[in-house]
Amino acid sequence: MKEHETIVQLSIPADAQFLDIVRLTLYGLAAKMGFSYEEIEDMKVAVSEACNNVVLHAYNGRSGDIHLRFEMSADALSIVIKDEGKGFDYKRAIKQAASLSGKPLQDVKVGGLGLFLMEALMDDVRVTTKGGTEVRLTKFRLHGEGEHAHDCISPSSVQEQA
Amino acid sequence: MDQKQFRLVHDEQPDRHVVYIKGELDLAAAEQFQRTVEPLAGDASKPLVLRLEDLTYIDSTGIGMFVALLKTRHQLGAPFAIENVPPKVRRLFDLTGVSYFFSEMNDASERIGGQS
Repeated sequence: MKEHETIVQLSIPADAQFLDIVRLTLYGLAAKMGFSYEEIEDMKVAVSEACNNVVLHAYNGRSGDIHLRFEMSADALSIVIKDEGKGFDYKRAIKQAASLSGKPLQDVKVGGLGLFLMEALMDDVRVTTKGGTEVRLTKFRLHGEGEHAHDCISPSSVQEQA
Repeated sequence: MDQKQFRLVHDEQPDRHVVYIKGELDLAAAEQFQRTVEPLAGDASKPLVLRLEDLTYIDSTGIGMFVALLKTRHQLGAPFAIENVPPKVRRLFDLTGVSYFFSEMNDASERIGGQS
């Protein structure tokens, strides 16, 4: 763990009805760090895409959890989305990840859009598939105006669920 | 009223179907969206218009469903349009390349009038 990093963790059932809770949590934390409205909206979509993949593909209809870890440092917010499922085939999905630009409508397939959006909306995307899938999404804070806002978070910040 | 709460309002007008999409269109809302909009998409006798001014969130789930509607309407040769797209939603449409199809379809269905 990096120095001066604040961690907030949240676990939810891998069920679509809890995805709004993830977005609310993300909004709260990113706003505290001083991210802009547009940056927060981008992160909301990217994190939801990673969670959508868990809900749709990880547990094969069985119940399971999504573990989220928000790593807040002075210059970046990383969101780690982890499951213990069979693993979404990211290698295959990456090949399909593209925008729909320039394709005839009848040839358009939307399968790769989620991953494409994650890549397009975040500064860094890393995927590890070993004993489930772990997606790490990072947004760097390019502007200094959030400096003061971040100071109000103490290192002993809430850990919603370990 | 909670702005995030997903809601659909179908306004059946004499000359077109208008569906107002409100709140967050995410994976949790997908089923409700499909249940309401798919039967309307199959009605080639009237233009279908989706009004998005109160849409507060969309991701690839919703964009994928819009593309499916585009395909259905295209196959039927029936007019389809989206109207009043909020800037943050427009940005995702542009990024994913979906905007191109909507402008193309909208050009083909200019006769959809009566915007309120």
